[in-house]
Amino acid sequence: MSVTRDNVLDVIAQESLVERSALTSDATLESLGIQSLDIISIVFALEDKFGIVLEQSEFEGVTTVDQLVDIIVNKANATDTASAGQAAPAAKT
Amino acid sequence: MTSRVAVTGLGCVSALGQTVATNWTRVKAGECGITSLAQAHPDVERLVKNGPAAQIDSLDTSAVEAYAGRKVTAQLDPVAAFALVATHEALLDGGLVGAPELAEAAIVYGGASGGNATLEEGYLRILTKGQATVHPLTVPKTMSSAAVSQLSMLFGVRGVAFAISSACASSAHAIAEAAHMVRAGRTKIAIAGGADASLNFGSWYAWLALQAMAPDTCRPFSIDRKGMVLGEGAATVVLEDLEHARARGATIYAELIGMGGSSDAGHLTAPSAEGAGKAVRAAYADAGLAVDTPVLVSAHGTGTPLNDKTETEVMRGVLGGDLARHRVIATKSAHGHLLGAGGAIEFVLGVLALKEAVAPPILNYLGLDPECDLPLALGACQPFEADALVSNSFAFGGLNSVLIAKRV
Repeated sequence: MSVTRDNVLDVIAQESLVERSALTSDATLESLGIQSLDIISIVFALEDKFGIVLEQSEFEGVTTVDQLVDIIVNKANATDTASAGQAAPAAKT
Repeated sequence: MTSRVAVTGLGCVSALGQTVATNWTRVKAGECGITSLAQAHPDVERLVKNGPAAQIDSLDTSAVEAYAGRKVTAQLDPVAAFALVATHEALLDGGLVGAPELAEAAIVYGGASGGNATLEEGYLRILTKGQATVHPLTVPKTMSSAAVSQLSMLFGVRGVAFAISSACASSAHAIAEAAHMVRAGRTKIAIAGGADASLNFGSWYAWLALQAMAPDTCRPFSIDRKGMVLGEGAATVVLEDLEHARARGATIYAELIGMGGSSDAGHLTAPSAEGAGKAVRAAYADAGLAVDTPVLVSAHGTGTPLNDKTETEVMRGVLGGDLARHRVIATKSAHGHLLGAGGAIEFVLGVLALKEAVAPPILNYLGLDPECDLPLALGACQPFEADALVSNSFAFGGLNSVLIAKRV
């Protein structure tokens, strides 16, 4: 099952406490009041939700909602589909 | 020239409920917030919380959110959320929310530990679930002063602010030190109290291991008492320069007249009558209060065999022979042991008892223990006219703090 842009936007809205309708394609994170530590918390939630791992270098230049959504959708759908959508990566032991 | 210290705002949350009014009404009615838990850990099946506890099942943060927005409460450990809710109530009560005076106010807030649930979640991820990361806010949510920072940010408090930790005397020490700041003229207003949230699974197992928890319920000073019952929550008082409070027409609940502290230099967990007695005597000396003055004692009263016996010895030693003129209450029997917040909530309830001239009952009492023959408030809530309140906190590790307040 692939991860859609809507799936990602739902998580961002929930974590950032920004109204879902305000997460428009051209909205900048700054204009939404989403600061650097907020972004880290949002990415943390996205990693958990979609079973992916992002390096900081992969999202440090992000300034708009759209850019963040692109990164997550691409990463999630490139990952083994069996693990995508799971609440957490499988235990290592 | 020192300032007199008024108590001008109260707030609390415990298993009895939210708001001082709810807690006080239920304490007077003899209602108990202790319930029997049977909770399995959602992720680790073999972990269970099984036994009596005074747990806060849900926290209504809507009033804080209406004031400051949803974002404020979204990323808080329960310990900071409790602190925010109790302090918002205390500042509203004191007519100080949004007041310009807060810019120069101080915060002294206590806690035995901080952010336990957040720490547990982090450990669970990396040690049990095999995950590689913990929440990015783990450090700022678990630092002992997290609640202080949240209070400062939320209410625009820009004076001296710090956390105090002295186990189960934390919030009593916080109130005492805040009162000294007001007395010394270092601040006109100090926000003081404490919060603790130790009903996460790890803390539960830690307390179990200590074998201090009762299997049945909390029975302070009773025969067949078997231990303490863990609670959680927060309590906050607004302390204010008495003249400042009068000038702005604030409600004055009581005057805080005596603060006494000591350390046992004895045992890590066993109480010392000598050490605790030294703190009580120091508070009496600070207050300039004669020991034959009729007082309401808000006891530490944990319900452990040793604490209550030792506290009896302490109070008999300080108060002398004619004990009948005094009355002893022990509200842990209603709200459980709030650990670092215990001293503050017991002070809050004690101040109200003093003001209303009543003695709310000690609950779950089975009968006289000859080693605990204090003039206990038993049965229904009774009228009792005291001249002062003596609020005891004797913590693990032998750290003691005693507060004395009088009616204004």
